[in-house]
Amino acid sequence: MVDFTLTEKDKQIIQIQLEDEQTVLKYARYYDQNHDELQPEELPEAKGRPNPYYMLQDSPDGTSGAVLTEAFLHLHTPDVRMRITRSGLGDKIVNYGGTPEQKARWGNKTLSIAITEPGAGSDPMMITGKARYDVATAEWILNGEKIYCSQFGMADGAVVMLRGEPDANNIRPFLSFVVEKGTKGLQVLGQVDKMGCRNWDTADFVLQDCRVPSINKLDVDFGGALQVFNGTRPMVAAMGLKYARSIMEAAVAKLEEQGQRIDYATNTNGRSAVQEKLLSMEAEYEAATMVILHSKWTEQNQGNASKLTMKEAAEAKAIGGRASRRISQEALALLGPAALSEEAFPEKWFRDTRIFDIFEGPGDICRLIVARHILGYSKKELS
Amino acid sequence: MITFELSEEQIMAQSAMQDFASNVLGPAAQKADRAASADQATLDALWETGIVQSQIDQADSDRSAILNAIILEELGAGDASLAIALAAPFAFVRAIAQYGSQAQRASLAQFAESASFVPAAVALMEPQFGWDPRVLKTTAKKVDGGWQLDGAKTMVPFASKLAKVLVIAATPEGNKAFVVDGAAQGLRVAGAVATLGLRCLQMGDIALQGVRVSDQDVLGEGGEVDVQAIIDAGRAGLSAVMTGLSRAVTDYVIPYTKDRSAHGSALARKQVIAFRIADMHIETNAMRWMSWRAAFDVEKAPADATRSAQLAYTYSAGRCMSIADEALQAFGGHGYVRAHPIEMWYRNARALGMLEGLASV
Repeated sequence: MVDFTLTEKDKQIIQIQLEDEQTVLKYARYYDQNHDELQPEELPEAKGRPNPYYMLQDSPDGTSGAVLTEAFLHLHTPDVRMRITRSGLGDKIVNYGGTPEQKARWGNKTLSIAITEPGAGSDPMMITGKARYDVATAEWILNGEKIYCSQFGMADGAVVMLRGEPDANNIRPFLSFVVEKGTKGLQVLGQVDKMGCRNWDTADFVLQDCRVPSINKLDVDFGGALQVFNGTRPMVAAMGLKYARSIMEAAVAKLEEQGQRIDYATNTNGRSAVQEKLLSMEAEYEAATMVILHSKWTEQNQGNASKLTMKEAAEAKAIGGRASRRISQEALALLGPAALSEEAFPEKWFRDTRIFDIFEGPGDICRLIVARHILGYSKKELS
Repeated sequence: MITFELSEEQIMAQSAMQDFASNVLGPAAQKADRAASADQATLDALWETGIVQSQIDQADSDRSAILNAIILEELGAGDASLAIALAAPFAFVRAIAQYGSQAQRASLAQFAESASFVPAAVALMEPQFGWDPRVLKTTAKKVDGGWQLDGAKTMVPFASKLAKVLVIAATPEGNKAFVVDGAAQGLRVAGAVATLGLRCLQMGDIALQGVRVSDQDVLGEGGEVDVQAIIDAGRAGLSAVMTGLSRAVTDYVIPYTKDRSAHGSALARKQVIAFRIADMHIETNAMRWMSWRAAFDVEKAPADATRSAQLAYTYSAGRCMSIADEALQAFGGHGYVRAHPIEMWYRNARALGMLEGLASV
């Protein structure tokens, strides 16, 4: 039966995240201003404190479910992470589709995933980075430039997606390789200088005649591996909404300082223009949140390989990303000129939230996925 | 524990209502719109679904606001206007069944026993510009042996045919709800004028001039009732109907835009159209989960319901309008002519998002 009540254990786990959220705020400005400096694997405050994500994964009994309840943690993602998780999308792919030998070698390493290039974003067909096999040495020679790799600063390497030699139809196949740091020809370009989320480890690198042995070539069904996005899209949408909501809450707090609050009982005529704007933002926030929760509920029941999960994950990302943009822009304006100051966090949250309608599948790409699903179109019919 | 899972009973009701809506309401919709009146046969078919009567038979704990939201979405997908035709007496009956005194509940026998449609409604909205449910101009004054009602209510469904109407009026102790007979002395219906949307409801203004009711007609045991709870349930109900309308619009736009070609390809294969349709679909889903959330709160967490029902209503009113608007645009000239139901949905969407009190979960 339909139920929207958090369990006691849900509340307990979420409470830890809420405390973490407040605790780490004191570091937020520092890492915002020092983007080249990676945060430590664990902040001093993390000592002796339970990790809410592990609590949930280790014993989901009594919660609304490991997948669904996690969405609430993401809706309260701390500005700076209490602890860095030593696992990236790259090692997940190795563990998903690698050979036993590859799993043994890299399964426990931290590997980013490197797909994006300066000329190839949401369309992987635009990837130009190349891999060529050298029969003489039984090595692969890799060339290309990869950008915006999450976690690459602290990672041991990356799973890199490149194109092989043209086949009989003159199409370059997609190939992927594990490239570890320290390999000759891998040049790390350092942290990306971003508008926001500046604490978020994001690095670029170049491969120049970088040679790796055959064992580094993964034989992975990338489509299968990328099903991981069906789980991460709503998660990322929730994280973006957290920043937008924080600005909105700051505006509500200002309203309350003036002895006002959003009056839900009355109608438009009974509310001030500011109250009305905040109400409409809150409604949009709530709409996005409900779509995220439903997509997580579907994932929890059907797994992240299901077509329905894929569609709903895209829905969550599309509505969440747009809501984050609109709410952050309008709420900052409501706060007034003083909110432009770096004295307080709203201006930071405004910058932070904007990426969430881009990475992990931009809103437009997510709309393509939803549209194909409901219109019954293939990729070729609707692109 | 958070879950969106429907019970078997809810799934069965949903499916039955979907059949009813597409077989009975859909085909009757445009005719009722043009005639600005619904066939007695259609109204009776709505009545025979037993949805209104079910509120009377059930114990408080058996009434399910979620189920009501599910039903209203399905009816709204068939035709929003006819959905409200049933939702209006439903709102009246639910308010009495939920909050009424023993005697008031007993008086619902009139509804339980009737084989044909009984027009009734909750009269909340007022005609003055800037009307505000917290500052109603319709007043109730304590007089000997009862109360005297004065004021005016606007857009009351079936205004000239009402068997009963629940009038929300301001008293010195806040808003109260009064059960008024449609034929009460001093209750005057202004001449019916057709409306932009939801035309089959024959909505009209009623004037209350010195209407006398007894103490027993004040809703609630001893006249104590939280009128806001009725308003909240109404907003959740309207949100569910708007979900249904938005779904119907989306379902109608999909085959048309796939079929119609312009500049070398089907309309639906152009991103600008496909993305709008994707948004219609996503936003309709959001409306549904919000109306469920509000319905859940109405039933299980009334303290939260004022907020969640307002959010559901605000979001649904805005998106339902924009969904109908974008659909009309996608149809171009065909959206503007009466051969397709789009123009009717556009008018109905505007009306739904402006009204209050005409439905309930």
